[in-house]
Amino acid sequence: MDLRVPSGWFFTLVGLILIGMGLFAPHAYAAPLTTDNVNLYTGACMLVFGLFLLLMAWRATQRGTGSNP
Amino acid sequence: MKLAPVDYVILALYFAFVLGIGWRLRKRISSSGDFLMSGRSVPVWITSLAFIAANLGAVELIGMAASGAKYGIMTAHFYWLGAIPAMLFMGIFMMPFYYGSKARSVPEYLKMRFDEKTRAFNAFSFAVMTIFSSGISMYALGLLLHLVLGWSFDVSVLASAAIVLAYTFLGGLTSAIYNEVLQFLLIVMGFAPLAILSVSKAGGWQGMVSRLPPNMTHAWSYMGSPTENPMGVEIFGMVAGLGFVLSFGYWCTNFLVVQRAMAADSMSAARRTPLIGTLPKMFLPFIVIMPGIAALVLSKMNLGYAFPLKATGGPDYDQALTTLMAQFYPAGLLGVGMTGLMASFMSGMAGNVTAFNTVFTYDIYQSYIRPGAPDRHYLTVGRVTTVVGVLLSIAAAYLATRYNNIMDLLQLVFGCVNAPLFATFLLGMFWKRTTAHGAFSGLTLGTLAAVLTLSSTTAEGKGGWIANLYTFPSQMAQNFWIAIVAFTTCLVISLAVSMFTTPRTDKDMEGLVYGLTKVPHDATAKWYQRPAPLTVIVVILLLILNIWFR
Repeated sequence: MDLRVPSGWFFTLVGLILIGMGLFAPHAYAAPLTTDNVNLYTGACMLVFGLFLLLMAWRATQRGTGSNP
Repeated sequence: MKLAPVDYVILALYFAFVLGIGWRLRKRISSSGDFLMSGRSVPVWITSLAFIAANLGAVELIGMAASGAKYGIMTAHFYWLGAIPAMLFMGIFMMPFYYGSKARSVPEYLKMRFDEKTRAFNAFSFAVMTIFSSGISMYALGLLLHLVLGWSFDVSVLASAAIVLAYTFLGGLTSAIYNEVLQFLLIVMGFAPLAILSVSKAGGWQGMVSRLPPNMTHAWSYMGSPTENPMGVEIFGMVAGLGFVLSFGYWCTNFLVVQRAMAADSMSAARRTPLIGTLPKMFLPFIVIMPGIAALVLSKMNLGYAFPLKATGGPDYDQALTTLMAQFYPAGLLGVGMTGLMASFMSGMAGNVTAFNTVFTYDIYQSYIRPGAPDRHYLTVGRVTTVVGVLLSIAAAYLATRYNNIMDLLQLVFGCVNAPLFATFLLGMFWKRTTAHGAFSGLTLGTLAAVLTLSSTTAEGKGGWIANLYTFPSQMAQNFWIAIVAFTTCLVISLAVSMFTTPRTDKDMEGLVYGLTKVPHDATAKWYQRPAPLTVIVVILLLILNIWFR
C-alpha cells in the first residue's frame, strides 16, 4: 500500500468539507476572535495538499515504483 | 465548547481512515518480524515522520502549549537543544550499530554487546515506562475531552484505546507507523492555522515581544541565573541536563523512537531517518509552542479572551490550547483541530504499545519465559501482548488521575530510567574495553542515584521523601540535575568496574563497537542522501533559529 493514497484521499475529503463550510455557511458558529473565513482558506490548502499526494502516488504507479507490499 | 455535526463527520472520517489503513495492512503480517518490526521494509520518508510523530503525543501537544504560556520561548529548548543534536548524533554515530548488529530491539543490542542481566534490566524498566507514558497520555486526553467538550472520561479513554488497539492489532508496527504519518500531517494541518491566527492577532512576533516581559521572548539571554528566567534553570543545568543527558538518553536509546528507524528498508535509510526527522522537528515549536505564548498575550489585550483558570484559582496552562481553538476555529476547522488532538494521542499511544509488545515478546517472553518456540507462536504472543499492553495502559491512566502535573511526572520517569542509560551506550558503543559487569553496575547504581537525588532534594514542595539536602529553584532544574547525577554516576561506576573486570575479545564484538564495525560510506549516493551534507544543513538552520530567538 502506498501511504500517499489514503493520506491524499483523507486531506482531499476534509478539504472539500471545509471549503463547503466556508462557502455555504461562512457565518454559522463564527469564532469570537476572527472574522476571516478560516474554513475556506484551510480547506483550500488541504485540498491542494491532498491532490498533490494523490498526484505523487499516481506518478509512482506510472513509473512502476509504487511501494506495494 | 460544543462540536457541530460537521465536526463529528470529520472525526468519524478520520477514524474510518485509521482503521482502514490497519485493515489493508493486515495481509502483510505473516511472521513475528512483520508484526513487531515491519519486516524492515518501510520507505525513509515514512520512518522519518513516524520517528517524530511517535513522540508527539497528546501530553506533548497540550504540554508544549502550556509550557509556552508558562515559560515563553525557552520552551523551544525542548526541540532545538533537547532533541535536534541528539537526533543528529543518533543518525550519524549510533544507527550503524543498531541496524548493523541485526538486533531486534534496544535491549537485545545490550544483550549482544554486554550480557543477559543488562538486557533484562533495560527490558523490564522500559516495559514499565512505556505503559506509564501511554497511560499518562490517555489520562491527559480523557481529562481534556471531559473539561472541554463534556465527554465522559471513561468513554473517551476506552473508545480511543479501542481504536488504537484495533489498528495495531491488525497491522502491527507497519500500521502504527503508517498511521503515525497520517496523524503527524493532520496535527500540522490542524494546528498551523491556530498558530498563524493567534500570533497575528497578538500583533505578530514583534507585537508579542512588546507585550511580554523580555525573559518570556528570549531563549538564551536570561539563563545566567535561575532567578532571571521563568523556568528557574541556569545555563549549565539546561545544556548538560536537558541538552545532553536527558535528550541523548531519550532520542538515542529509547526503543520507542529507535524502533521507527530500525524499521527502515536499508542501513542508509535507517541512518537518514532521524536526520530527515530533524527538519520538521525544528519547526514544530512554531506550531505547538507559539499558540501558548500568543494565548498569554491575547489575555492581556482586552479582546474578551481571559486566560483559563483552575477551580482553585491559578492559571490552568493545560487549557491554553483548547480555549484558543474555541476563540479562532469555527465549526469545521474545530473538528479538524479536535481530530488532530485525538490523532496526537493515538500516535503517542500506538508508539508506546508497539514498542512494548516488541520488547515484551522478544526480550522478556522469548528470553525468559519460553525460548525456542516456532515463530508462529511468537506472532500470537505479540498480538496478545498488544491487547495486554492496552489494558495495562488503561489501568495506568486511572492511576494517573491521582497526579496532576503530568509533564513533570514524565520528566521524572525519564530522568530515573533514561539518564544513566546513555552513559552505558556511549561507553558500550565507543569504548571496547567496557565490560558487561561494568555496564550493569553503572546502570543500576545510576538509576539508584537518580532515585536517591529525587528523594533527598525538593523543588516546588515536591520530592525530598528521605531528607531535604537541597532545594532547587524549580522542578525543571531538579529534573535536569537528577539526570546529570545519574549520568555521571553511571559513567564513573562503569569505567571503574570495567577496569577491574575482563573485557570480551574483539572478535566477539564485531558490528557492535566503534572501531570493530565497518561504518558504511555512501560514496555513490546523491549528496542529499548522504548523512554529512544533511547534517550541515540542519546545523546551519538550527544556529539561525537560536540566534534569532536568543
